[in-house]
Amino acid sequence: MLKEELEITASLAYLHLSETEMGRFSESVERMLGYFETMDRMDVDGLEPTIHALLAENKIRTDNPAPFNNCNNNNFNNNENSNAELLNNVPESEGRLISIPNIL
Amino acid sequence: MLSELERWSGVLDEGVRRTSYARYLSSWEDRIGAFLELKPDSRLPPADDGKTARGDESLSAVPFAVKDNIAVKGFGLTCGSKILEGFRSPYSATCVDRLLKKGAVVVGKTNLDEFGMGSSTDNSAYKRTSNPWDTTRVAGGSSGGSAAAVAAGMVPFALGTDTGGSVRQPASFCGVYGLKPTYGAISRYGLTAYASSLETPGILAASLNVVEAVFGAAHGVDPMDQTSLEPDAETLSRAEAAQPRKVAVLRGLSGLDPEIASAYARTAEKLSALGLEVVEVDMPTLEYVVPSYYVIATAEASANLARFTGIGYGRRSSSAETPDELVRASRSEGFGEEVKLRILLGTYVLRSGFQSRYYLKAQRVRTAIRNDFTRIFGTASLLMMPVFPVKAFPHGDAGMDAFQQKLADRFTCAANLAGVPALAFPAGTAGGLPVGLQFMAPAFHESLLFRAARLAAGIFPVEHPAGYSEEFLS
Repeated sequence: MLKEELEITASLAYLHLSETEMGRFSESVERMLGYFETMDRMDVDGLEPTIHALLAENKIRTDNPAPFNNCNNNNFNNNENSNAELLNNVPESEGRLISIPNIL
Repeated sequence: MLSELERWSGVLDEGVRRTSYARYLSSWEDRIGAFLELKPDSRLPPADDGKTARGDESLSAVPFAVKDNIAVKGFGLTCGSKILEGFRSPYSATCVDRLLKKGAVVVGKTNLDEFGMGSSTDNSAYKRTSNPWDTTRVAGGSSGGSAAAVAAGMVPFALGTDTGGSVRQPASFCGVYGLKPTYGAISRYGLTAYASSLETPGILAASLNVVEAVFGAAHGVDPMDQTSLEPDAETLSRAEAAQPRKVAVLRGLSGLDPEIASAYARTAEKLSALGLEVVEVDMPTLEYVVPSYYVIATAEASANLARFTGIGYGRRSSSAETPDELVRASRSEGFGEEVKLRILLGTYVLRSGFQSRYYLKAQRVRTAIRNDFTRIFGTASLLMMPVFPVKAFPHGDAGMDAFQQKLADRFTCAANLAGVPALAFPAGTAGGLPVGLQFMAPAFHESLLFRAARLAAGIFPVEHPAGYSEEFLS
């Protein structure tokens, strides 16, 4: 794969690649893409694409805001500590706010 | 007589049995490295509603293990990746929660290929898991830790995930059963998404009765997963009445390890001797299964793994000076080689201008694969296939490289593309290593898989690796 193509792809994927990674990945991506092209031997004219094997339709729940429920299925609760359990996993925070580097 | 599960009940209760169980666990763990987190001393953690039963349920006080890409409250959830190092899960997956509510107890989280991407469990960022039958060999993957723990007798069952064979292939490498249920039959809520349209939680156990009992407890529609499904009444009654009368086998398979080819032929003969009709069929789409699978899986992975930014949770780079740079640096430092490769591939095939060439094409091939299954299930009740072309391969360079491993997924990932259930079963050993085969059935026909596997179980004596013991159970 062209170095330039790989750079664009990596940037879209929010990945930095070192020089050695560029070399390795260009080879392995190229190999897989070549392999994907074996599908060209198959005649798929007239076949609808399958996005999901068994799903017929979307099922959506009602759009009601709720605190993170910390439990499964229908056992919604209003335990305020459950949000704290989510925030405990934030790598850098100030109080209940998540920190990121300066935007400006 | 106590059932296989009842014998395990209470093995974690304070007392002599727990001491010898803990000793057994650590002696195997030192040899095979199946777990990323092992807490056999944990007291029965109540399910979230606090109503943990210890009554008449067969799962009461029974220990089990969970692959570390499925959430269990109070445990880590690394997905075998540095990017989730230190993360503690604030909730349990629905499939885990349903087992906890029956009184089962999680003893630990098992090792896996990073985010489920691999066939050896050597792609874990943390440790290497070895095969209990031969520790110079891999346990398979990506649910290698779960398969190894079950084969070694450390737990009566374990949960894994199967995106393209990740339950069935390690099950066959380790000589145990591995069920990939119908897509949607077991909720994916709490499973860290890799390829959403393909993957499902699955069950590994040394006993068929245990697989069946756990599937019975874990399956069913879940309001937390909009892709969870249940069969309509007609399908359900057809599945309940279905008998394994006619088994399809694939004609003219090539590239198989001779011992696997011979187990495949021998099993067909024995099933025929048991009165089943065995018919040879062609599956013309088989050679396109792997390219279609990897286009779709990597495309979905590139979208699913976009959530790992180092901001809300997980590993955060310490070097970044802008938010954009923070995300790029955190991902670049946190993801391993195979994960980066699949994200790059998935991003590429979804780029504007390339979609119809790869992604749309793969989805059309997927339709052809589904049509092949429909045709085969129109003439036979089941399809029997090998699981993997070779037995457990050695760790490292002496084994299979990453590309060869992908090509070898051809017998497993077809079931994921079509959404149908498949059950890997032990088909004896050859040269001291287990050989596995699998049955596939129409959607929601898990009960038919169990009936067929029960017949196959009569053909092959149960075998365990050296060092396996059940002494602590008595």
